[in-house]
Amino acid sequence: MKRTRRALLGTIGAVGAAALAGCGGLDSGPAGGGTPRGPGPPTAESLYLGDDVEALRNNIRDGGVPKDGIPAIDDPSFQPAGAASLDDGAPVFGVARGDEPKAYPQYVLVFHEVVNDSVGGDPVSVTYCPLTGTAQGFERGETTFGVSGRLVNSNLTMYDRGTDSWWPQMVATAISGPREGETLEEFRVVWTTWGEWRAAYPGTAVLTENTGYQRRYGTDPYGRYNPPRGYYANDDLLFDPLVSDDRVPPKRVVIGTRTAAGALTFDKESLLAERVLIGAIDGTEHVAVADSTLSTGYVYANPDGVAVEPADGGYRVGGETHAADALPLERMLAFDGMWFAWAGFYPEVPYVR
Amino acid sequence: MSAEQTVGDSGVGAQARALVRQTAIAVRGALSRWDGRLTVAVAGAAYLLVYLVGLRQLGLGPWGFELSVVADPLTRATRLRGPFQWEPVALIVAGPVELLLSPLNVLLGGLLGALVGLNLAVSLVAYRGPAACKLGPGAGAAAGLPGILSGFACCGPTVLLVVGVQASATLLTVFQWLLPLTVVALVGTLLWVGTKVAG
Repeated sequence: MKRTRRALLGTIGAVGAAALAGCGGLDSGPAGGGTPRGPGPPTAESLYLGDDVEALRNNIRDGGVPKDGIPAIDDPSFQPAGAASLDDGAPVFGVARGDEPKAYPQYVLVFHEVVNDSVGGDPVSVTYCPLTGTAQGFERGETTFGVSGRLVNSNLTMYDRGTDSWWPQMVATAISGPREGETLEEFRVVWTTWGEWRAAYPGTAVLTENTGYQRRYGTDPYGRYNPPRGYYANDDLLFDPLVSDDRVPPKRVVIGTRTAAGALTFDKESLLAERVLIGAIDGTEHVAVADSTLSTGYVYANPDGVAVEPADGGYRVGGETHAADALPLERMLAFDGMWFAWAGFYPEVPYVR
Repeated sequence: MSAEQTVGDSGVGAQARALVRQTAIAVRGALSRWDGRLTVAVAGAAYLLVYLVGLRQLGLGPWGFELSVVADPLTRATRLRGPFQWEPVALIVAGPVELLLSPLNVLLGGLLGALVGLNLAVSLVAYRGPAACKLGPGAGAAAGLPGILSGFACCGPTVLLVVGVQASATLLTVFQWLLPLTVVALVGTLLWVGTKVAG
């Protein structure tokens, strides 16, 4: 990963400008601090929870940082793909809404975990938890999200600045506060690499290091992904999981989905190799298909057991070929995560490989 | 200790004053010698550097020259990002060296470094001084121990990743108190070593 370096002369100018911009400038986003002041985020149909809300709340842990000690990016800045100096193998979290594709580099989000942004004209939050390896998107409405400093099952617990309700990222359900029990509206964030995302979306914008905060971007406190090192590569956990499940090494990456009825996980490496995997939630068949262009997968409900077969350029369903992300079935929200995190939140979740 | 019992029997307050007075004499004595001053300077600076590296505020990065400051440095400088860790207000890059400047952390690291340096300097001077001072070479190491402890304090839970220990509520609480305990321990060892020298 190559760091962006601004020239000394340019930055001396910036220092002067910053000194003049004493009442706002880079720091002008929604303030943190957690004082409820306004409406909360929009919510959706409830999702299955492996444990009830009270049990999750009883398992909130101090993550070792205060509220907003990990500062969300409230005023993100972007640059065109051509101006970015990322390695092709660098992990990015891709979002494409409307006609607007955006990439959020992991090496920036590891220091912030939440980006309060607008994509395709919609106010959204793109979130990332380094300890569970999960990148998820949420509609935020008129509010913004911050980092509470607490963890559940090692997972980022966000708070919304409208109501100060606490929302563990993976379950997307408030476990305390005025919105307790409600579930956030989610959208797909693709965990891929910069090279693959840029090839798929040449017009993409990329989040820059101009976050309003000073960090040594490029020095991930947990390790690195390209190539894998440290926390991301070993089997050590920083916190005890809610439930231990040794069917798979704890940090094996799975693509999981959850519905109102249950949860289901697919082994990502197997999916990318086999292209089609089939599992079930509460007796309803779900099919996962691989997307080799972004090295990811999509999950569809397939209650009628329609045949889905790999074909050149996509998948054959009902005699026609479709792209991986556009099968004529109901697409479920799915996202990458470390196995221990899925198994902890959803005890005895089916694992398909 | 020998003199403190004869200072007077007016109680703990008088004993404490005597303790501080003796330590002050020992510190002045250590700082009056070139080897004492050198020890304070080298140990203090080395500790500050290690402390900043432990906080990940100092390290190596891609080559470059850069100075960038946040928009509101005064407000940001007092914003906590962890126990005894404050927001950096500037990034300074000089060649391969990167420094995130957090003024309060530099102050705190400087204070800890000064205490570690003084402990070592007083111990060193006592060790090199007359045998009557009754201070063995182990005293210096004992005085430095709290400093090493505080090294763990600075890094927070991420140090657990390095040592491969799972975090727990107790351990995290210990981390939050490690730094103030370290300051108390450093002052305590300085007083102890100081009285040995003055004795």
